[in-house]
Amino acid sequence: MASRKKLLATLLTGAVTVGLMAGCGNNSNDSTSSNANANAGASDEKIKLRMIESLTSPNRTKLIQTSIDKFEAANPNIEVEFISPPFDQADNKIRTMLGAKEDIDILEVRDLNVAEMVNNGFVEPLNQYADKWADFGSVTAVAKSVGSVGDKIYFIPNGLYERQLFYRADWFKDLGLTPPKTWDELYETAKKLTDPAKNRFGFSFRGGSGSTGTTDAMILAFNGENVNLEDSMFTKDGASIYSTPEGKAAMELYLKLYKDASPPDSINWGFQEQVQAFTSGVTGMLLQDPDVIQSLTEKMQEGTWATAPLQTGPGGKALLAAGGAGWGIAANSEHKEAAWKLIEFLSSPAENTQFSKDFGLIPVHASAAEDEFFKTGPYKTLLDMSNQPDTFVNYKPAFQYPGNAQWGQVAMESTQALLLGQTNLDDTLKKWDQYWVDEKAKLKK
Amino acid sequence: MKQRLLSMFKFSYLSLYLIIMIFPLYWIVITSLKPQKDIFSFPLKYWPDTITMDNYVNIFKISKFHIYIGNSFLIAITAAFVVLIIAILSAYVLARFSFRGHRQIMLAFFATQMLPGFIALAPLYLMMSNMHLLNNRISLVLMYTVGLIPFSTIMLRGFFQRIPGSLEEAAMIDGCSRWSALIRIIIPVMLPGIASTFIFAFVQNWNELFLAVMFIDNDALKTLPVAMNSFIMKFDVDWGAMSAGAVLSIIPTILIFAFAQRFIVEGLTQGAEKG
Amino acid sequence: MKNQRMFILSGLLPALLLVLVFTYYPFFKGIVMAFQEYKLFDLRNVHFVGLDNFKAAFKDPKFLMALKNSGYWVFCSLILQFTFGLILALMMKKQFKGRGIYQGFAFYSWALSGFLIGMIWKWMFNSQIGVINDLLLKFGIIHERIGFLSDPKWAMVSNIVANVWYGVAFFAIMLLAALQSVPSELYEAAEMDGAASWRKLMNVTLPYIMPTIIATTLLRAIWIFNDPSIIYGLTNGGPAGSTHILSSLMLDKIIYGGDYGAASAIGIIMMVILLLYTIFFLTVTKAEKVGDF
Repeated sequence: MASRKKLLATLLTGAVTVGLMAGCGNNSNDSTSSNANANAGASDEKIKLRMIESLTSPNRTKLIQTSIDKFEAANPNIEVEFISPPFDQADNKIRTMLGAKEDIDILEVRDLNVAEMVNNGFVEPLNQYADKWADFGSVTAVAKSVGSVGDKIYFIPNGLYERQLFYRADWFKDLGLTPPKTWDELYETAKKLTDPAKNRFGFSFRGGSGSTGTTDAMILAFNGENVNLEDSMFTKDGASIYSTPEGKAAMELYLKLYKDASPPDSINWGFQEQVQAFTSGVTGMLLQDPDVIQSLTEKMQEGTWATAPLQTGPGGKALLAAGGAGWGIAANSEHKEAAWKLIEFLSSPAENTQFSKDFGLIPVHASAAEDEFFKTGPYKTLLDMSNQPDTFVNYKPAFQYPGNAQWGQVAMESTQALLLGQTNLDDTLKKWDQYWVDEKAKLKK
Repeated sequence: MKQRLLSMFKFSYLSLYLIIMIFPLYWIVITSLKPQKDIFSFPLKYWPDTITMDNYVNIFKISKFHIYIGNSFLIAITAAFVVLIIAILSAYVLARFSFRGHRQIMLAFFATQMLPGFIALAPLYLMMSNMHLLNNRISLVLMYTVGLIPFSTIMLRGFFQRIPGSLEEAAMIDGCSRWSALIRIIIPVMLPGIASTFIFAFVQNWNELFLAVMFIDNDALKTLPVAMNSFIMKFDVDWGAMSAGAVLSIIPTILIFAFAQRFIVEGLTQGAEKG
Repeated sequence: MKNQRMFILSGLLPALLLVLVFTYYPFFKGIVMAFQEYKLFDLRNVHFVGLDNFKAAFKDPKFLMALKNSGYWVFCSLILQFTFGLILALMMKKQFKGRGIYQGFAFYSWALSGFLIGMIWKWMFNSQIGVINDLLLKFGIIHERIGFLSDPKWAMVSNIVANVWYGVAFFAIMLLAALQSVPSELYEAAEMDGAASWRKLMNVTLPYIMPTIIATTLLRAIWIFNDPSIIYGLTNGGPAGSTHILSSLMLDKIIYGGDYGAASAIGIIMMVILLLYTIFFLTVTKAEKVGDF
């Protein structure tokens, strides 16, 4: 008897909770729809903007929310709903929302997917807004180029990242080493640091997802001057960078780097393992973007690590691509003016510089380079690199090719097969060459 | 002699299994108690030099963890209850009656387990949008319920089939309607099966990540798996926060399993007394 | 009679309606993608291509590899999970001191999400900073670190280990519940006949719980086949695509290729395989009674 009553009671509670939730949900829904109606009615009524980020992390969300709060205080008629899906799922969610024509006004667009967004008509070109923006002039050319497809700009980056070398300053000192300037030196240095008996390796290799970060960087550096900077998978002669003898030499060095100076396990490492191996003292050198600076500062003793510029190829050039994500306006937005107002605020020199400092990015305004913060410490290297544009040459990654999305995966799997000795180098390079020749042919159609 | 051998085997099997199960948990727990700098220090530390609650304090500071836990509980328990009610009915009908379409209905339930879920995702998202259920916890309760109906029905039907039909026939002769015979006689006997189905449903709901990410925008409505997924960032995993969150998310399930033990046995003995 | 029909109808309707509207309807709306060129990069150019996606799948060595891996993955995971789970349930059937707490720790793995299991085991299996290599070295079982996730010889085994660790609890829970509903009279009768414990197990216990065994193994096989989360988290199909199963390959097509057409085609092929498997399984186990299929 007792248990039956208990069961009934619990069932009832269950039913009541459903009712309660229904109540809450409906209320919130009602309020949004009434808001929308109000917007349509009078323009000085409160506008509600929906904004979604992609590169979410709890700290970053907090920083952006603080800026939004400031904006709301200054613009009492605009209310911002800031949506923060987990990074892992964010792009997928954004696509689904855009595909279903859900209300979204501002979205975080990434260098990786801006071409896709533009191709599908999801995002609005920002030129007409940017032209009227007083601070647009001080946005660096690199930042503009990252946010553009063709001659139109689709997002204002909220910060840039560029690859640089992080190394164990204490190990280097013990062995009397200096940071390597070329890829060959990097290999030699890595070999000296390697001592498998002590579980120490020179290079934080990354053979898993994102492996092209290393292979392409080396192949580009070895091809050096010959690379067509606007169409960077090809040389100035129109051949793919994988078909040249320089490309082959780069990959030969790459194979040696894995075999002689990297943890065997790293063939399947992604960014997590790559960074973890460095912070836990297994590896001595790491190639990464400045957003790892925060976690290195948190996890490692001060003075044990330092930064150096990216390595150059035999021709003395390192090819460098800036990456970034930033704020764009959804093509379906009904509040584009208000949305731009918020983007303008977030992208202002003051806000953007502060955000870059707090989160570890290169600011998008040239004026920020004057800031002491970026002239010292781990960021200095990045500034040094941009001060030597002849050595550290900027190129535009191949984001305009539809096949670029899949390239990482194709290259990763064939690189792994190569590292495992299942295929040989010539066949691999032939395959890569064919992939890009095909892509180019498709693009021309 | 044979008895002793058997109990020795039993003891060693249970101990070994326990060690294998507990070790990863132990590893998460001590990680959650290590300061950030020690988590990835090499050589590995099997016992932290300093114990800190920082990671726990942190996840409540950087995100609204108490709210996520509350949402997860609310959604997981509600959906599990609704599933039970619906599935007990359908399972009972499918276990006790034969009628035209019986076979097809069983097959339709069973086949849902084979559908690749992602194919339905975009249409489902549109449906939720049209029903104004996006960004509303009801969407998750609804979808979790739907997702678990087939399995729960199949499972409960198995339990019903093991209970002799004579049990409720006797009650119906005594003047009970079929409904009250079901509620008064059959369900108490079924409690072990119902309890395990409930636990199963709860656990699935408690862990569901994909739909929760898709359907919920508002931070105040997010669930625990979504919050934990947020500790994976572009270039790092916040293992301190991740392990602290994992520990917090495991505790309720360990408690439920430990508690349900008593519940299952109690239900069984009661059923036996009545029978 | 009319009453009975009402009872049947009202009992089935909620379940049936919900499943039809929220499972089958969106699924059939989505299925059309398998016959289209449907690429995220070019959503404005979605068009029908007939069976091209299926033809492409069967020509792809990666697909064939994943097909083979799927069989291996399901077979090994299932057998090990079931065997360990059944033994565990049998040992836990009799009350012992602290059984409640024991149950809590023995079963919690089932309550973890696949994504968390992938993360935890990836970390533990890491050959440089992972705890498993460290322990094996400490105890002198191995002398050289093993690349559990990077050596093609080990990668699939490691995935299966993590999956078994996760899934034993499922069988133990389900079988334990079934065991506890075995009427004690059956045992009493067997004991009067003087049956030994092994014979009791084979003649009384197992036949009684057979419907549960068949239903759980059948379902579990389908879930193991369909769930990419552990492989996605642990090896992500690597190294060199050697550990992809069909479901992780499907995910791969979506996440890294944005090719929904190809992914849907793989999804449909998976469904057909599962249907064939189910028919085969039910015929072999002569289990028409289990589900009256």
